[in-house]
Amino acid sequence: MSTLPRSLRLVWFVTWFNVRMLLASEFFILTTFITPLIFATLGFLLFHAGGETAGQTLLYVALGSGMMGVWSTTLFGCGGAIAWQRWEGTLELLVTAPSRYDHILAGQTFGAVVLGFYGIVATLAWGALLFGMPIAATFPLVLPISIAAAVLALGSLGMLIATSFVLYRHANALGNLLEYPIWLVAGLLVPVTTLPLWVQAIGWLLAPKWGMDAIRGAAIGSSPPWLSIGMCLVLAVVYYVAARVMLRVVLDKARRDATLALR
Amino acid sequence: MTLPPPTGVPAAGPPATETRDTPAIEALDLVRTYDTHLGVVRRRRIKVEAVRGVSFAVRPGELFGLLGPNGAGKTTTIKMLITLLLPTAGSARVMGFDVIRDTTEVRRRIGYVFGGDRGLYDRVSALDNLRYFAELYGVEPSEQKRRIGALLEMVGLTGREGEKVEGYSRGMRQRLHIARGLLHDPEVVFLDEPSIGLDPVGARELRQTVKTLVDAGKTVLLTTHYMFEADALCDRIAVINDGKIVAQGTGNDLKAAVANRTIIEIETFGVAPETVDQLRADPDVVEVNVEERDQSQILLVQSEHGTRITQRLLGHLTDTRVGKVIAREPTLEDAYVHLIAATGGTDGAAARAALETAS
Repeated sequence: MSTLPRSLRLVWFVTWFNVRMLLASEFFILTTFITPLIFATLGFLLFHAGGETAGQTLLYVALGSGMMGVWSTTLFGCGGAIAWQRWEGTLELLVTAPSRYDHILAGQTFGAVVLGFYGIVATLAWGALLFGMPIAATFPLVLPISIAAAVLALGSLGMLIATSFVLYRHANALGNLLEYPIWLVAGLLVPVTTLPLWVQAIGWLLAPKWGMDAIRGAAIGSSPPWLSIGMCLVLAVVYYVAARVMLRVVLDKARRDATLALR
Repeated sequence: MTLPPPTGVPAAGPPATETRDTPAIEALDLVRTYDTHLGVVRRRRIKVEAVRGVSFAVRPGELFGLLGPNGAGKTTTIKMLITLLLPTAGSARVMGFDVIRDTTEVRRRIGYVFGGDRGLYDRVSALDNLRYFAELYGVEPSEQKRRIGALLEMVGLTGREGEKVEGYSRGMRQRLHIARGLLHDPEVVFLDEPSIGLDPVGARELRQTVKTLVDAGKTVLLTTHYMFEADALCDRIAVINDGKIVAQGTGNDLKAAVANRTIIEIETFGVAPETVDQLRADPDVVEVNVEERDQSQILLVQSEHGTRITQRLLGHLTDTRVGKVIAREPTLEDAYVHLIAATGGTDGAAARAALETAS
């Protein structure tokens, strides 16, 4: 088997395996399957209390709540999986396997992100069933492209963050730190235009902001979707290259400092 | 029990410099230092020298044993050889490839198995574990099913492969570890205390598996605390203590260090420390070690005067209740204890106690 199909097969296989591993975790199931619904319910009720009951507004809330779940799942899936591998003693085996570790890490991260996108489906269904939210997309053909671009961007960012988990056993503190602020900075629940400009500028560097804009743009026409899709793809490449460079540095440091076996 | 034939693992040709005389494993003055911290409030950085200039060479197809007490540097040495750790100084090659620079080439050719419960995905089945690692180790998809089936058969897990690993006994886990380590048909296999924690039957089965590997032409580097295991399996043995190789050779070579001695085992009940000191002070006694049993203490007296001094030894024990008295030839364990005690780091009794604990 030539190199490219082997690499793709490896990434696919690791993705599939990681999805199975994540689904065997009750905590992950709670985070992925229940939390977005709670966010969505709170959002619907808040906007309802403020008199914002238009269908577009409810869609805005549902998509934002779903993306909050995607981001939480990404952080938990990429970081938590590596932390768990430390506990199980499998991290050393993965790092010293003959396969490229960036492919393994990519499979692990994308497995989590793909599962996380369940949150968007769930919040849309939840809104439609309980709050009478209409499900209609402004650009229905662009929506799948937006979602795919968002998956790529979030997955690559997840990989970049995961490199720190390879090096530091307590990197889950970083994961926790990145959860809530990025919900705000990326405008997942409230529009970023309500935030100071310098805070908005931070969001421009982040995949969740452009992924959210791409999906909302295609679904409710809130912004031009193609610009956001393009930014997702650019950021995906930037994150991926940065993750590969970081991984090389991190693995060298881990071999030097003997941190892979630490729990 | 047979080892499956090689599979279509990705091309891993020999290095240009490899010849029949090239060692399968070669360590040259390996040094590994760890930085660690002492204290909580006033943290002080210290350096720990885990390996201090280890050199040895293992021939292709050889079963080489690395013996030493806990903390001697065995696992650190293995971790450098399998590319998990960078040496602080020195160099090492596996099948002619440098473990620092040629990591991918080394990794294609090695399998390794660590003892203990870790290193498996507990929440999925043994079959899922093996399929996953087969992918990571680059086993051709068309070969995976046959290879996994043959390895399950070899380690005696056929029929249990669908069960979740979390329900496996320690012995089953250890056998699964071995199957995992052999998935890509490695030329060199590192076994780091693979029999630790196994019951006697499990340990015997594992020794049989190790023999099978060697019969199939694999080069094996084994660390173990079981002296009889090393004596029975290994072609050559290196004893490592305090980060240094203190002796190297065949089991008989190592035993030669104590070959002129006789071991007199005296079973006692409630022997006083002063009495043991009296025995040690006897001019014809070379070494006395005490093994604590449930109700008794076994005095292991080494002498170069055969059994002629037995009566005199018993004369020191007139106030002590004595059970069986046995005279025997030195074993590898006696040689090991002698070597460890003679090279510092711990005394003979402590070395033997460590062995007992490990067993």
